[in-house]
Amino acid sequence: MGVITFILMGSSLAFPAVALYALWWAGREGQLRHSEKAALLPFDEQEPVGQMTDVVLNRPSAPAGSLKS
Amino acid sequence: MAALSPRGTATSDARAQLAEIDESCRGSVLLFFLSGMAWLLAGSVFALIASYKLHAPDFLGDFAWLTFGRIRTAHLNAVIYGFSAEISVGVILWMMCRLCRVPLMAQSVINLAALLWNFGLTIGIIGILAGDTTGVEYLELPKYCTPILFLAFALIAVWTIVIFRFRREKHLYVSQWYILAAVLWFPWLYSTAQLLLIMDPARGAVQAAVNWWFAHNVLGLWFTPVGLASIYYFLPKVIGRPIHSYYLSVLGFWTLALFYNWNGFHHLVGGPFPAWMITISIVASVMMVIPVVATAINHHFTMVGHFGKMRHSPTLRFIFIGAIAYTASSLQGVLSSVRWFSETAHFTHHTVAHAHWGMYAFFTMTMFGAMYYILPRITQREWPSDGLISLHFWTTLVGIAMYVLPLSLGGWFQGKAMLDPQIPFLEVVKITLPYLKIRTVSGLLLTLGHVAFFVNIAWLLVRTFGPYRAPEPMILAGVGTGNAPVGK
Repeated sequence: MGVITFILMGSSLAFPAVALYALWWAGREGQLRHSEKAALLPFDEQEPVGQMTDVVLNRPSAPAGSLKS
Repeated sequence: MAALSPRGTATSDARAQLAEIDESCRGSVLLFFLSGMAWLLAGSVFALIASYKLHAPDFLGDFAWLTFGRIRTAHLNAVIYGFSAEISVGVILWMMCRLCRVPLMAQSVINLAALLWNFGLTIGIIGILAGDTTGVEYLELPKYCTPILFLAFALIAVWTIVIFRFRREKHLYVSQWYILAAVLWFPWLYSTAQLLLIMDPARGAVQAAVNWWFAHNVLGLWFTPVGLASIYYFLPKVIGRPIHSYYLSVLGFWTLALFYNWNGFHHLVGGPFPAWMITISIVASVMMVIPVVATAINHHFTMVGHFGKMRHSPTLRFIFIGAIAYTASSLQGVLSSVRWFSETAHFTHHTVAHAHWGMYAFFTMTMFGAMYYILPRITQREWPSDGLISLHFWTTLVGIAMYVLPLSLGGWFQGKAMLDPQIPFLEVVKITLPYLKIRTVSGLLLTLGHVAFFVNIAWLLVRTFGPYRAPEPMILAGVGTGNAPVGK
């Protein structure tokens, strides 16, 4: 039980320490600022804001040849 | 035309980068998705047999390996460690690569992890059906297979961190916070519970405390973060609108991290534990209102004005249902943690309904939505059948509603009857029968939906790898670029 207790106690201390480090790192790196920039991260030049990226059902009409035949 | 055809803009750096990332993920993500779907189908059959036995106990009663205690356990482990965990890993890998702007490197490591995970789980499920279970909720897999699972997950966790380490985009999106936390939390939970419950079991009531610490946290600190990461990614991505409030999303993450891991002991209300332990757990459970409401507000205000887009996007349909179910099931969980409510609902089918509300209506529906988005991109092919998509959506939506709502009600009546000393126990069992029969019907609907989804995936793969290769897809470049009035 000694070794297991040691492992459990160690991990119980290590994980909150990792969480605190993550929070400190986030603050230092500016991850908790620039929220407008962060909110745009799922988008890029190819799939920009304002563009719906999943049109599968009930497709709107598109120019001939652009849809699957 | 260029906006409608991905090949039409193949020279752009952005498209090349996305294509490279999707291509790099193809083999590994498909491996996790296909094996996850196989476990879902197996788990559905196990579930149907178990559900039918609850109102027809003699059904398949002559087969020891199909008795309720084994088949229900096989169902739970097949859908938790088979379907849910493997689909989670596939979604995590693809999202991390997309958000880090890097291709998946050294796929063979991830493929090895997938093979190890499936090998360990197959041994474990066979062991359960043979009667070799630990008897500990959510940790029933025999202990000879758990080191294999742990090794496989360690590879996955390390590789997720490696992807993050080599990211090209330095700023983190909230989904990455959830994913990184989840891949650290799960090995901690799993190894701690294995040590304290299986390898060198704690004595007496402490076993129950550790068991519920693990069982509750594996849902809330592994599957919930993966589900929320997916909603926060796919909801804005599909409708083309950033999340309503990024600050709220970060607040939701850190408050979940702070409060959730205290929640498990509320399952021990009335048990032989110090009152302060239970009370702290109830207080933390009620505090979960903060991340839940923050998330609900964020999802709702992101969707406002875009509900019509569900007409076109299967991803949005499933994710939307998942987001609503997250709010509803979490608030129900808060209510269930309170002593006066728990006194009636505890040890009844109400708890089973709540578990399915969270794991199916929220998590599974969200994963279905994510798969509808990812699979066409990694295979570069469109979904072959709109009809099968609609069949999948409506059978699973109606099926889970038929499951959760009547069973929640039936569980409550069951609890009230059990508290009444004038009602014999057999009468209590009879009270539950109509709700259990509805549950079997709902299970049939869910299974039908799963089969429809599997057929559509198989058809997609035939179009991708088979002799007939379909024409170019239209969805990958994003139809509706600015000008198409898509479902506003």
